[in-house]
Amino acid sequence: MLYRVIDAGELPALVSAFMETYEVVAPVKRGRSYAFQAIESFDEIELDYPTTIVSPKKYFLPPKETLLEFDACGNQVTDFAAEITPRVIFGAHACDINALNRLDLVFKDGRYPDPYYVARRGATLVVGVSCLPTETCFCHLWGSDEARYGYDLFLQDIGGKYLVSISSVEAANILEAACDPRVATDEDRIEFRHATRRRQAAFNPDIPDIQEVAMLTDAFHKDPFWDELGERCLSCTACSAVCPTCFCFDIQDVRDPDGTAGRRERVQDACTSPQFALVAGGHNFRPDGRGRVRHRMYHKLNGFLANHDRMLCVGCGRCVTACKADINPIEVLKFFERKGAQDAQ
Amino acid sequence: MSGRCIACEEKPAPPRVVVVGLASCFGCQLQITNAESHLLDVLGQIDLRYWQLASSDPMPEDFDVAVIEGAVTTEESENLVRALRARAAKLIAIGACATTAGIPGMASVGFLSRPVEVYGEGQVPAACGEMISPRPVSAVVDVDYEVRCCPIDTLDFVDVLQAALFGSNRMRRTATMCGDCKRNETNCFFGEGTLCLGLVTTAGCGARCVSLGRPCNGCRGLSPDANLASARAACGRYGVPVEDFDRALELFNQTDPALEGAR
Repeated sequence: MLYRVIDAGELPALVSAFMETYEVVAPVKRGRSYAFQAIESFDEIELDYPTTIVSPKKYFLPPKETLLEFDACGNQVTDFAAEITPRVIFGAHACDINALNRLDLVFKDGRYPDPYYVARRGATLVVGVSCLPTETCFCHLWGSDEARYGYDLFLQDIGGKYLVSISSVEAANILEAACDPRVATDEDRIEFRHATRRRQAAFNPDIPDIQEVAMLTDAFHKDPFWDELGERCLSCTACSAVCPTCFCFDIQDVRDPDGTAGRRERVQDACTSPQFALVAGGHNFRPDGRGRVRHRMYHKLNGFLANHDRMLCVGCGRCVTACKADINPIEVLKFFERKGAQDAQ
Repeated sequence: MSGRCIACEEKPAPPRVVVVGLASCFGCQLQITNAESHLLDVLGQIDLRYWQLASSDPMPEDFDVAVIEGAVTTEESENLVRALRARAAKLIAIGACATTAGIPGMASVGFLSRPVEVYGEGQVPAACGEMISPRPVSAVVDVDYEVRCCPIDTLDFVDVLQAALFGSNRMRRTATMCGDCKRNETNCFFGEGTLCLGLVTTAGCGARCVSLGRPCNGCRGLSPDANLASARAACGRYGVPVEDFDRALELFNQTDPALEGAR
């Protein structure tokens, strides 16, 4: 990894340089919240945003995308070549970059790479930016408060300047041309350590740090806690819509109004949707909120870990705000904390 | 896959379709005509045998698909719906009135005394027919397909009609609305203490009203998976009066048995 330092005042030039060749998407204010969207000037960017409604996942796994087109008369299928926009995601937080790395495990690095995802991932540069945790952030518990890879540049705010981690030649060239990057000094490195400590000290202390979460989920698989949590579920799928790592989808055919042709679309699905585990013949493997909510938490905190050696939750806290029924991993951690306290008695 | 396409067989036998209006404002039938740019494409796939809105010809004896708009509010309309069901291979209910009893359904509580309250004892005109408490089409017969919303979305109707004609791999879903708001990245009304019925309303419109800056008023009807107890608790946490929530639900869900517990 290469490290350089630029002044905060150089960021507009960096963004402008990206905009010459790429569509730049960045966090902007949207009502009371923030959202990633295409920008036309640096001034639109809110770089110290707390979080966004959904993560930059939407640029890799859009809520709806066409997979192929068909001619229902001739029974012909045409592969659909989506136009891929070369894009820079500017200002991604470490949790979202870590989430992207998890999606890579499934859609890019697995046995059957997904061509639609791979094409978008290949045409996208990721520029990360450091942040301070909000009340609902718990990325530090899962080690997602640092992005170790999966980005092109990472901007660590060290007070009026940025320590830039550089991990791609493409981004390095643009940085070099647009800014005046200088070698990091001891003073810069001290600032970096201070910034890291400030972040680490700023996490909400009420969110319990539980060891061996995966083992505990197995130990308490049949606990009535899951009934309490599941009975609250509104079946709205907001949790998975905002989750930066949820990747389940459904495939549906849509005809043109004259019925002769159409397209096959991939749409986001969610294991908290009541029909998610409904199979041919009418059996639903998870017919109630208890089963669905528990399954979701298990996949996040246990199942994916068993297969990929990391959790499918990065602690971004979006579901904590999105769920109107107060169902989220923090509630699960609090449950384990209560269980631990009972055992100690 | 046979490679055969109903839409373009050489000797097409287009499905015979009838469109029937019951107690409603006819707005959903009008929405079909609003398909304008696609209307001829849609009509080209069917043999439209009967449509009150367009022609006063009597309803034919035989047809394949029956499209019903409006709530059932009289014995006559109840019999008509049964007759349609007996003859049609596929039955489609369109609009809030047909799918939830909708606006006519608002009168369903204490319905039997209402005609007399309006017209006076012995004064109820014959034109009212033999009135019964308003109900959705699905309360009378089995419904194969539904097009929800008040009014229906034109292209949604075309979509459902095609599913009835050709089949579809899209199943009916019962998730509620909030996931769509998140995907649209709109701000949640609950965060500003404003009531929104998306918490319990069947998704499928793409949370259109919220995208246009208005809370959901529930015109797609309560989801069978709606969690009213949890939604009421959420109202409490977000500073929305629970009574407002219950009252707002009556606009499109008055006849839904799930509301009985609230009264």
